[in-house]
Amino acid sequence: MKKFKFRFSRRAFAYPYMIFLLLFVVVPLVIILINAFLDDANKFTFQNFAEFFSDAGGGLTVLGNSLIIGLVTTLICLVIGYPCAYFLAKYHASNRVLVLLFILPMWVNFLIRTLSTKAIFMALDVQLGMGTVLFGMVYNYLPYMILPLHTTLVSIDHSYIEAAEDLGADKMTVFLKTVLPLSLPGIVSGITMTFIPAISTFAISEILSSSKIFLFGDAINMHFSKTTNSFGVGSVMSLVMLVLVVVANVIVNLTSKDEEVTSVL
Amino acid sequence: MKKFVSAVAILLLACLVLATFAACDTEEKDSLVIYNWADYIFDDKLTDFKNYYKEVTGKNIDITYVTFDTNETMLTRLTKGDSNVDVVCPSEYAIQKLIEMDMLVPMHYFDEEQYTASFSVNVNKDIYEHNSDNVEPGIIDKVSATFGNINVEGKAEPVSMVDFFVPYMYGTLGVLYNKYAFMDLGIYDEEILNRANWGILFNDNGAGELLSEGLTGSILMKDSIRDSYAATVFYLLESGRLDGLKNKDGVYYTEMPVGELINAVDDQLLDCVKQVLTNQKSQLFGYEVDFGKDDLLTGNAYVDLAWSGDAMYAVEESWNDELGEDGDYELAYYVPHSTGNIWFDGWVVPKTHNPEHLDAIKLFINYLNRPDVAAANLLEIGYSASVKSDVIKQDDDARAVLAEGYNVYAPELWDAVDEDGNPIAQDECDFADWEEFELYFFHNSYENEEGDIVSYDEISGSNWRYPFESAALNADNYRNIDSLGVMRDFGDKNHDVVTAWNYSRSAGVNALPLLGWTMLAVAVAVAVVFLILRIKRVARHTVRTHSTDAEG
Repeated sequence: MKKFKFRFSRRAFAYPYMIFLLLFVVVPLVIILINAFLDDANKFTFQNFAEFFSDAGGGLTVLGNSLIIGLVTTLICLVIGYPCAYFLAKYHASNRVLVLLFILPMWVNFLIRTLSTKAIFMALDVQLGMGTVLFGMVYNYLPYMILPLHTTLVSIDHSYIEAAEDLGADKMTVFLKTVLPLSLPGIVSGITMTFIPAISTFAISEILSSSKIFLFGDAINMHFSKTTNSFGVGSVMSLVMLVLVVVANVIVNLTSKDEEVTSVL
Repeated sequence: MKKFVSAVAILLLACLVLATFAACDTEEKDSLVIYNWADYIFDDKLTDFKNYYKEVTGKNIDITYVTFDTNETMLTRLTKGDSNVDVVCPSEYAIQKLIEMDMLVPMHYFDEEQYTASFSVNVNKDIYEHNSDNVEPGIIDKVSATFGNINVEGKAEPVSMVDFFVPYMYGTLGVLYNKYAFMDLGIYDEEILNRANWGILFNDNGAGELLSEGLTGSILMKDSIRDSYAATVFYLLESGRLDGLKNKDGVYYTEMPVGELINAVDDQLLDCVKQVLTNQKSQLFGYEVDFGKDDLLTGNAYVDLAWSGDAMYAVEESWNDELGEDGDYELAYYVPHSTGNIWFDGWVVPKTHNPEHLDAIKLFINYLNRPDVAAANLLEIGYSASVKSDVIKQDDDARAVLAEGYNVYAPELWDAVDEDGNPIAQDECDFADWEEFELYFFHNSYENEEGDIVSYDEISGSNWRYPFESAALNADNYRNIDSLGVMRDFGDKNHDVVTAWNYSRSAGVNALPLLGWTMLAVAVAVAVVFLILRIKRVARHTVRTHSTDAEG
């Protein structure tokens, strides 16, 4: 009897957040879903889907560009972030200051960081375009790649590496056969944490290309904030985005099943 | 235990409710909910209005002030059911939309009797002054010409917008540019600019050639569908791209009056607009949302599509002591000569307003057209108030507001003291007397040492703070108020315009090469790693064979 009472009250603490989730996550999703099937006169239609997938407003092109830029950003982040996290974990596992240095940029508002990046580029006479956008994205999302990698790498039991060395593996083999497979969960969650925000970003591309590079986030934003009667197509685009995120998560969960790690999202 | 907690909670709640009621009871106040653009009123005037309200009705008033950033946000909020707003200040095309949806109450501001008929006993009609005569008649003419017959949903009789709205601010669409950059490029010349006119935004000199190579990559376009559409249509017309094209009714586009052309949205025109906007991308620095002025001042961009109020504000901010002989404005504003867009913002009352607030609504709207209030607002926000400039020039209170705001030495108008209360000497003021200020403010000119009146901007008639006056002054010139068209709502073409705009925004960016290069880089990296491993293995193998050989 006593036990039951205790459990009941503990569960009650979760209710406020559950209600919050219901109101501000589930309900808006349902509204998006309904809007995607409504035309200007609030009648049921498939026109919004037809319009998006026929690429009349360049929506598919924009989506393609966003995916590519997101992919490339993620790749660059991984290439830069992995060695970085590796050496951080290897030589400075106990040195929190160095780790702090890598997280520090995340404490500054990213809009301020991006605007300052633009100012630096302008001062150096660098022409704003694809290159600057990519730089801004990598700069912004790199910590999201390093952090999960660092956490995984630090937690690898050192005796595995010693065992491999005892068995005669050289440094390269130790890395390829033990460290890399053991850090796979970190890589996977690093990729999700970078790729998903990178495909939906719009502020970075807007600032660092003076809105010349138009990404999927911009397109969705345009349909909702600049017009009153194209919520339908905007909703379809949001749904497409949602599907992409879900697909990314499913892939992540499939690849990391053995590692018993699920994606952060 | 649980019961006790509940009891305490209920008790607390009860106290709270009681306290609220008690607070309400002690002071009976009227209230008013205003829904306006952000930064679109001088905040002190809201407080002043409370005093004015007290004076006229003898009652206190609470003002709730809510803001929006685009007409679209406002329309969404009003149409999707927010009913708490008493008075709103949309642009002309948004008002048209609201009228079509039958969401507004007619105000009949220009008929004093009808406007004041609804006043309750509280309003002291001896103090109340009706200000509709202060309003620039040009605005009413333009609006009746464009929005004289609006069909309301479900009603047979069309209505006129003039009955529904009370003008507040207005302005033009034009080109804000860096005068000194233009001088360096050798294109700061009335003839060159007039020939290029809207082509300035497309780096076209009016004959299909580049206006200046230095302009490539230095043009800012407004990230706004309607304004970009208007500028592009004018450019199409001016550059001869519409020559020989006819609309559905067989009328040549070139023969349509500007006011009609700008509202004649059809597929053919949209295709042209889409094409031109897509091609324009190679000339652009980018699309501007909020940072246009800064980019012009830092020299990142030289040209920007701008509204007159923003432009006037930017020009005033751009004063630089190091330029010219005794300092000069670095930026200038230019409205192309034969075509242009003029727009209006005005106050309307949604049907869902609180009927108890009607006195406050009407007093507030009328209060804004008082010369001194209009002067304070136009001083603060930079757009042209719809009160006639002659009224402002002749009203002592309004003159005092402007004199103080612009630091004019005019002791007859204001105290001319600094923050500590010490009198300011004439040479410490920015303007030596009211005449000098009037020349600057209303005519953008100054008197030089020889006693001639010289314009700050050599491009004639560039002062578009008062478009109607500028047009009247330049009547013998090519500028004429008829050449400024008012844009209606795109109506059922809205969707197509959005699609066209999206298309041209997304065109010209191709990330495929990026993907190609990355793939290549990855392939090279993999190959290198593979090679290194291979070499190492071969090396190890050799070592091992050597050692075996030795043992053998």
